[in-house]
Amino acid sequence: MTLHSKKATRRRVMSALGAAALAAPAIRSAHAQAKTIVFGGSVPLTGAAAETGLNVNNGYITAVSYFNDVLGGVEIAGEKYKLELKLFDDASDPARATTLIQRQIDEGTNFFLGSFGSNIVLPTAAITERAKKPMVQTGGGSDAIFTKGFKYVFGMYPRATRQFASTAALFKTLTPTPQTYSVIWTNDAFSKTAGQGVKLSCDAAGFKKLDEFELPAKPTDVSSVLGSVRANTPDLLVCVMHDQDSLLIARQMVASNTNVKCLFQGLGPQLASFREALGKYSEYLMCSTYWDESVPYKDKFFGDSRKFVEYYKKKFTRPIAYHTAGAAACIETYILAMQAAKSTNPEAVRDALSKADYETFYSRIKFTPDGDGDAIIMGSMIGQVQKTKLEIVFPEAASSAKPLYPQPMWDKKA
Amino acid sequence: MNLVVQTLADGLVLGGIYALAAVGFSLIFGVLHVINLSHGILVLLGAYLALILSTSLRIDPLLTMPAVMAVLFVVGYAYQRLLIQRAVDRSPLGSMLLTFGVALMLQNTMIWVFSPDMKSITPGYALASFKLGAISFDAVRVSCLLASLVMLCCLAALLKFSALGRVIRATAQQTLAARLCGVNVRHVYALTFAVSAAFAGASGIVIGIILPFSPADEGTWTLNAFVVVVLGGVGSPAGALIGGLLLGMVSTLTAQYIGPSFPNVTMFLLLVLLLLVRPQGLLGNAFAPSR
Amino acid sequence: MTQKPAAFVAVILGCAVVLALAPLVLPPFYVRVGQLMLYSAGLAVAWTILGGFAGYASFGHAAFIGVGAFAAGLAEERLAGLPPALLLPIGMLVGGLACAILSAVVAYPILRLRGTFFAIAMLGVCHVCAELNNNIDALQGSLGLNFPAVAPAAWDPAVFFYELYLAAGVVVFLIAWQIQRSRFGAGLLSIREDEDTARMLGVPTERYKRIAFVASAVLTGLLGVIYAHSLGYITTDSVYRDDTNLSLIVYSLLGGMGTLFGPVIGAFTLVFITQVVLARLLDFHLFATGLLLVLLVLAAPGGVLGFVKSWRQRRRAAATAPAE
Repeated sequence: MTLHSKKATRRRVMSALGAAALAAPAIRSAHAQAKTIVFGGSVPLTGAAAETGLNVNNGYITAVSYFNDVLGGVEIAGEKYKLELKLFDDASDPARATTLIQRQIDEGTNFFLGSFGSNIVLPTAAITERAKKPMVQTGGGSDAIFTKGFKYVFGMYPRATRQFASTAALFKTLTPTPQTYSVIWTNDAFSKTAGQGVKLSCDAAGFKKLDEFELPAKPTDVSSVLGSVRANTPDLLVCVMHDQDSLLIARQMVASNTNVKCLFQGLGPQLASFREALGKYSEYLMCSTYWDESVPYKDKFFGDSRKFVEYYKKKFTRPIAYHTAGAAACIETYILAMQAAKSTNPEAVRDALSKADYETFYSRIKFTPDGDGDAIIMGSMIGQVQKTKLEIVFPEAASSAKPLYPQPMWDKKA
Repeated sequence: MNLVVQTLADGLVLGGIYALAAVGFSLIFGVLHVINLSHGILVLLGAYLALILSTSLRIDPLLTMPAVMAVLFVVGYAYQRLLIQRAVDRSPLGSMLLTFGVALMLQNTMIWVFSPDMKSITPGYALASFKLGAISFDAVRVSCLLASLVMLCCLAALLKFSALGRVIRATAQQTLAARLCGVNVRHVYALTFAVSAAFAGASGIVIGIILPFSPADEGTWTLNAFVVVVLGGVGSPAGALIGGLLLGMVSTLTAQYIGPSFPNVTMFLLLVLLLLVRPQGLLGNAFAPSR
Repeated sequence: MTQKPAAFVAVILGCAVVLALAPLVLPPFYVRVGQLMLYSAGLAVAWTILGGFAGYASFGHAAFIGVGAFAAGLAEERLAGLPPALLLPIGMLVGGLACAILSAVVAYPILRLRGTFFAIAMLGVCHVCAELNNNIDALQGSLGLNFPAVAPAAWDPAVFFYELYLAAGVVVFLIAWQIQRSRFGAGLLSIREDEDTARMLGVPTERYKRIAFVASAVLTGLLGVIYAHSLGYITTDSVYRDDTNLSLIVYSLLGGMGTLFGPVIGAFTLVFITQVVLARLLDFHLFATGLLLVLLVLAAPGGVLGFVKSWRQRRRAAATAPAE
């Protein structure tokens, strides 16, 4: 094979140059005028994390337009500010994410929202940390982010290994008390640490582990794992992975008639599309959720959770997910911290964030000294699909229904 | 013992589907010598079309196959004539990059049109299963396997017996000679591409029924096709079938006996090893004899 | 190229000094873009030693970025007590060595393949490495690996890594240049043009290909080590990237395949376009990148240098043509 190309005609090259020139828009854009607070950062709108990326982006847009259009801006230390979003698509490429985050710092962006996946969040957080700009993010839960001594990074969820404390607590309340569990995770940083978290919490709560399975990052067939599950059946089967893989497992469990008393899937049953795809078989499935329309918190700006959802529905037709609410809460948390600090100085805001204890429509906001969400206050609730709806079954204070256990065999689900 | 048989059965079912998903890629590689990195996109396009048609017309997704294949046939023909043909006679890298560029554009377009969410096609029998002796079969996977085998046979017959098939084979074996005999090579290239796209679309329906899918999955299906073709050999449905079955069984066996996360390792290891031992694939290049 | 060697080296070093001083005046964002340009150019030149000179276009060079980075990271983790100034050289040594061993082992069988099959097999090698790295817990591919901060406290890390990439890039470039003008380079060229004839004429093709492969792999691995340090934390997805595999080919295609300056020009141009011109795009960034590739293939199949060359040839032809 020769790699030498044939001659290029002048016309062809010229047309390419012309196209490149057309494709180059003004590189500099007008810098934010006074009295605008700019939020920078990246979201993955393409690639494997695009679904969550879109939910998160919609949340940001909802919050910003609510503050600007409905409230006419926010007041901080007696001055009115408008909010502005400046986000780019990082396509889950760390080189791109780190380069472009620097541009925003150069342009004077002081407040950052996070991307998705710890291999993006960590390198970008190292840059914002060095520039002493806060980052409040919903997309990186790995322990690595919160154990490096960063002072300016805050997460809306507890770190991955702490996320299952409430799940284990729920399992304890079920009757008859389950004895054994098995856990399945996919081989990516998030799911793998979550898998460790499941084991930590469940072992601590006194359940006996039968098996653990590691799937590839993108499984296409889980029949062999399910064969092992049938041979050695636990009371509780816990799956931590992305929703697409959860659906694959659930479908193959039904098809191969693999029954357990409780199927818990970290991500999946929260989503309307998941419940639709599984139909009646989604009944009784449990999942973690960090927020639901029915949560009882009062909010200074939105009023409460339902009003937030109402406003969201005016802007988008897409079903709302807890990531959307979490993203909107990121921006609201910033605003509350700025009002508390009476300043838009990034360092003052970071100090206010570290002392935060706010009530928002999303939940109470309180961070640990390491920056992740407080494991109890911002920890997950447990949802269960009951009559095609997701009901909150734990903790009791927020619950809308009683947990149903054990679940019937698949072929008995009507 | 049961476990071995069950694992092999699962592997065979999976392998048949891999084979259908790869056959279009194989044909294009064999005839045009183009590595079509947008293959996975064509597969997904089939899945989305089937989803739309089967929900709006309320028919079984497998029944949408003729319509989906017709649409992709046209898309494939136009795609080849308008874009690929311009790069086809240059270096193989150029055409490969072209298809990659198109794959990126179409992935982005799919995200706009269909949203980045995962979708799935759920026919009434999606979650049924049956048993043969002690071996349990997933009804939907088996019906998809049957559909795949039927489609592969159809393609083999088309290539072997029809006039179109003869011209395609002739062009692949001796492009110059075919041209001298009055074959319109561009037209044949485009028809080959169209047939390949149609079969990619058909496999998309099958895949959509079995697995949840989203626009970001296209890479997986391109890569799978790659492996299948290298294992089985270029250009023939039989080669794709052998490669697919081999891949399917290796995947399930590895998952069962080495570890559920290892199928991809063995898959690519097998790819490299087989390339070294038998670069032309197990069945060789279907069009090779007179090259 | 027929320059005097000493003059050529002087010009290259002169350019390097100018580039080295650039961070003094550039805003930090452009220092980052510069980092990425130099890193990509270094990779592209390392790739071209095998892919451009010898015509063995690899589709899996990200394997060496990953292996180099993880080997270095794992070694440095075990030596965590040492001063940072020592860690980076040790890491580069280990990373380079790992790539040398891997490539030497792989080279013997894989270089029997040619053309597309070689490209595919390299893709396979890259994925095998990535999957093993991801699935063997001791290698920490899926949980991620931390790298020590090696930049001296007085330096801005962005500038430090910029200079490091620059130094590495110049070294890679000069090595490639030295190879190109040597007997070895001529041998590689003969392999690219017609391997069988070259062998018949007595060129030790097997040995030459293997040396080029190992050299290309080691240089790629060294750049990977620097890259991992500049990120500070990597998972397998950070380094074993299929888009890197493709970009390396695109750089050469864009600049001019088989030339020395082509990959550099290609890398600089493409990084500038994707990171500066297309940077602000939110939801159609992927589309724009794809369109760019399509236009590139359709409009400038010979790359920038190919265009210049054909223009020169035409002018020469016009000059030597008899006057009307």
